[in-house]
Amino acid sequence: MCVLLIHFPLCCEVLRQPSLKGQPIVITYTAASQKLVLDYSPELDVLQRDMPLQQALSRHGNTILVPSDIPYYRSIFTELLNSLENISPLVEGIEPGSIYIGVDGLQLIYPDDKAIIRAVIDAIPDIFAPRIGLAGNKFLAYLAALSCPDGGHRILDGDTTTFLRDLSCDVLPVSIKSRQKLHDFGLNKLGQLSELDLGPLLSQFGREGKKLYNLARGWDDTPLNPRLMAEAIEESLTLPSVTVSLEAMLVALESLLIRVFNRIGRVGLGICELNMWTRTWNAVQWEQTIRFKEPAVGIKGVINRIKQRLENYPQRGPVEHVGLRVTRLGYPHGRQSNLLPEVRAQDHLMEDIRQLELRLGNPQVYKLQEVEPWSRIPERRYVLAPTNR
Amino acid sequence: MVKNPGKALCVGTYKPVNNPEPVPVKEGAAGFPAKIGLPKWQTIAEVEDRWRIDDEWWRSQPVSRLYFKVRLDSGQQLIIYRDLISYNWYQQLY
Repeated sequence: MCVLLIHFPLCCEVLRQPSLKGQPIVITYTAASQKLVLDYSPELDVLQRDMPLQQALSRHGNTILVPSDIPYYRSIFTELLNSLENISPLVEGIEPGSIYIGVDGLQLIYPDDKAIIRAVIDAIPDIFAPRIGLAGNKFLAYLAALSCPDGGHRILDGDTTTFLRDLSCDVLPVSIKSRQKLHDFGLNKLGQLSELDLGPLLSQFGREGKKLYNLARGWDDTPLNPRLMAEAIEESLTLPSVTVSLEAMLVALESLLIRVFNRIGRVGLGICELNMWTRTWNAVQWEQTIRFKEPAVGIKGVINRIKQRLENYPQRGPVEHVGLRVTRLGYPHGRQSNLLPEVRAQDHLMEDIRQLELRLGNPQVYKLQEVEPWSRIPERRYVLAPTNR
Repeated sequence: MVKNPGKALCVGTYKPVNNPEPVPVKEGAAGFPAKIGLPKWQTIAEVEDRWRIDDEWWRSQPVSRLYFKVRLDSGQQLIIYRDLISYNWYQQLY
C-alpha cells in the first residue's frame, strides 16, 4: 500500500498555524544561497517544487512566504509513521509525505482491503488528505495513489495493462536523463514503452533499461524496507538567546548529547551516525551528518567531531535552535576501561551523579561554563551546564 | 490520531547565570535613581558611573539598558539598570 501526502510541508504549517488555511502560501528553503520553493498552496498551480523563489513570485506576487522548518516536518512525519505502525509493523517512510505499508497477512485483523484503507485514513489527520493506493507491488501502489484525488483511494487488482497504458513516462522512478531520453525517442506513454523488447531498452538505457522494461509492464520487485523498530533519538533545544558563538553552540550540543546518551542507556550501544542541525533566528537551516567509523560511546569523542564540523562549516547567521538526531546505533567492537585511578575516580563520580539524577529526575549538579565572556549582556557570558557526563 | 507535536522546543537543559533581578527604584531628577528598595528603602548617595548598552536590535525583543553604578548611604556599591523597553529597574552584577 502506498500513502501519498501531497503538500505535506504545507499541511504541517497549517497544522501549526490554522490561520494559514486557505491562504496563498509558499514554503521556501535555501540551497546554495538561493531561495527555492519547497511547497505551495494547491491553488498556486503554476508553481513547482524546487523552483527559484524569484520565479515563483513573478507568477504569484501576493503570497505569504513561510520559511521551511524541516525538523518540525520530520517530527510530524515520524509521528505519522508511529501511528501507522499500529496498523502494520511494516512501514517505510521514503521521504516526508511518501509512505509504503506492507499489508500482507493482515486479513485476520482487517477482513478486506477497504477495512485496511479505513484504518489508515483514521490514523492520519484529515488535514493531510492522504491519497491511498493498494496494489501488488510498490510501483503499482504508488501509481494508484497518484491517480487518486486528495483524500481518495484506489485499489488495483487484476489486469493493470489498461491502467498503465495511458500514463506518462514521467511517473517512472528512473533518472531524469533516462526520462528525457524516452521523450526524445517519442516514448511518452507507458503503453508505448511496454511494446518494446528488453534488448533495445538494454542497449539504449543500460542497467535502467531492465527497470524500464519491468516497470512499464507493472512489474516491480523492490522490497519494502520497513524502518528499524529502534526509533531515531532526537533532541533539540532553543537557546536562551541567539548566538554566533561556537562555544555557546557547543555547550548546547553537549547538553543535548548528555540527554541522548541518557536515552541510549547503559546497554553498551554507541552512536554510528548523527545528524546535527541548527536553525537561525530567520529560519535558515544548517544541517550536517557525522558518521563514526567505530560507534562512539562517550560524549568527548562525539563533541570533538561536532566541533570540527562547526568550525569547518560556518553557520549562516545567528543561531536560535540546535538539535541532534541519532540515526544509527551500534555496538563497539571492544572497549577497555582506563587504568589511571584518577580517571576512574572521575568516572565513578559521574556515575554517582547520573544515578542521583535518575532517581530525582532532571539535572541536579551543574558546572559553570564560559560561553560568551565578551558579551556586553552580563547574563550571556556564563551558563550552568549539567555535569552528568 | 496523530497529535500535533508543534510544541515549543525545550529550554532549560542549561541555565543562564547572573540573570537580572527586578528591584524597586524611586527616581529623582532627570530619571536618575534616588532610592532603592532592598527591600527597605535606602537612599542612593552617589551615581558613580553610568553606561548604556543597545544590542540585538534586529530581534523582536531588543536589548536596551541604561546601567548605573551607585553607592548607597551605607557605603554599599550596587549595579542597577533601567530597561529602556519596559522601563523597569533591575539589579545585576556586571
